[in-house]
Amino acid sequence: MFSRGLMARSAAMRTLHSTSKRSLTIPFLSTLPPTPGGVKGDVNDPTFTPPPDKLHGSVHWDFERFTAVALVPLVGSGLACGADLSVVADSLLCSVLLAHGYVGFQSCIIDYIPKRVYGKNHNYAMYLLTLGSLVGGVGIYKLETEENGITGVVKALWNAGKEDKE
Amino acid sequence: MFSLGLNSGAFWARPLRAASRRMIATAKTSAARQQEILIAQRKNRPVSPHLTIYQPQLTWYLSSLHRVSGVILAFGFFATTIAFGTSALLGLGLTSSNLARWYHEKVPRWMDLTAKGSFAYLFAFHFANGLRHLIWDAGKALTLRGVYTTGYAVMAVMALGGSYLLTW
Amino acid sequence: MSGILKRNIVGVIARRGLATEVAQEARLKTFKIYRWNPDHPAEKPKLQEFKVDLNKCGPMVLDALLKIKDEQDATLTLRRSCREGICGSCAMNIGGRNTLACLCKIDTDVSKQTKIYPLPHMYIVKDLVPDLTQFYKQYKSVQPYLQRSKVPEDGRENLQSIEDRKKLDGLYECILCACCSTSCPSYWWNQEQYLGPAVLMQAYRWLVDSRDQASKFRKEMLQNSMSLYRCHTIMNCTRTCPKGLNPGYAIAEIKKALATS
Repeated sequence: MFSRGLMARSAAMRTLHSTSKRSLTIPFLSTLPPTPGGVKGDVNDPTFTPPPDKLHGSVHWDFERFTAVALVPLVGSGLACGADLSVVADSLLCSVLLAHGYVGFQSCIIDYIPKRVYGKNHNYAMYLLTLGSLVGGVGIYKLETEENGITGVVKALWNAGKEDKE
Repeated sequence: MFSLGLNSGAFWARPLRAASRRMIATAKTSAARQQEILIAQRKNRPVSPHLTIYQPQLTWYLSSLHRVSGVILAFGFFATTIAFGTSALLGLGLTSSNLARWYHEKVPRWMDLTAKGSFAYLFAFHFANGLRHLIWDAGKALTLRGVYTTGYAVMAVMALGGSYLLTW
Repeated sequence: MSGILKRNIVGVIARRGLATEVAQEARLKTFKIYRWNPDHPAEKPKLQEFKVDLNKCGPMVLDALLKIKDEQDATLTLRRSCREGICGSCAMNIGGRNTLACLCKIDTDVSKQTKIYPLPHMYIVKDLVPDLTQFYKQYKSVQPYLQRSKVPEDGRENLQSIEDRKKLDGLYECILCACCSTSCPSYWWNQEQYLGPAVLMQAYRWLVDSRDQASKFRKEMLQNSMSLYRCHTIMNCTRTCPKGLNPGYAIAEIKKALATS
């Protein structure tokens, strides 16, 4: 009786798709040594509360919402006017879009490349983002002064295939 | 039960030392040693599955699509502006006309359609879902019904708006 | 004659005494349950299949689990206590959703399997038992008790109006089962720093309690990039709460309160 039960049970066992000892990590990116069981310190102590830092707390959140709200009319007018958008409006759109993209990427970096797990790599990711944004800012300047702005580029690329037909 | 011999008085007359050594085993340890054992046990513990087993739901599927679409769109925007920026800094001579010409000549039709299609639909989705997020931040429509109703509305806007943008 | 009659009557009564034992076809439901044994830590966690006759089992998943533990595999380990959805012990992931096993009805469609996993992205002590240490430490960090700097006006009771008491409805009923927090992808990735919907909803419960005078301090505790602001309004928490509460809404209200402070 016992052996039959055991055999049936081992046949029914199926190995699970990977359950590792830690969270998913990005391949090839070095991590700090993991905390065993994800618990730091004594069982009865509360978790560490960092000192209040409004700049990275509510002020940051307010800024995020501000760029999002500002983008609604800017993008709307961009879509409506197409390439006829004025230089001022186009520069505003590009700058706010740059800020929105920056804050969005920053959120992704904090979520998926946290300092707690990746240590210095988190900082490198943020430096890369900041550098990219600065260069992007230069690009926007060039686009506004010498070209037709971002709306011009989008129009040119979007209709690039259309000339084929005519 | 009787075979265990527990009902015989002779069993209880003898001290339990031998039996206790077999049946129970405790060891006196310090608090520090106990903490060490606990940490050693914690090191072995696996993490229970999450993404692979959690039921697909509108809530987290739309949220992940919002993030993915945001990243893709931002990549496109940053790539373009960084390209112009590096060209300006290094004097590479990139303009929107020669960019358009390169795109027109070098990029195959299928890649063009894929890029335009994804940008059109993802942009429509991200914009509509962004509005949904702003509504939530105001504290409205944060019930389960509100989440699902606005979610379906966003998907409808993605389908319609995306198709409109694609055929622009 | 009396002996035979008595025996027959006794037989009939004995058979009548048993409940109407109609011969029923066994309805065998397949459960696939996550197993991991800390005594053999090198073995990877597996899904083990069990079949339960639903005709001989209570309607809830907890009934099935205890039946399996009782009759088939006594080593199956799970937390359970009240069996009525108020203690929060039996929280687990059933059919992909986090819920309480004692409140989750078994899907009677026997052609489908029911998969039972522990709460997602938690360190597992054994089988379906997660390590909730971090969860409780986070709850403690939010200081979930009344804090006053001044003695009440009448010197006896902390009076509260009916409207102020209504603000606590939908917040105080939380049983801290951890279903919502473990359904949140942000909590999956940043469990050590992000507090999670359950704890944040309790933080809000104390923020909004008119008798509490530590609001400023409570808000300051959340002013950093991780404790509160890893919430991206995914709303898995509200979707999964087995008590029908709305942590997502509470968190949005906290963000609004902090934004204008």
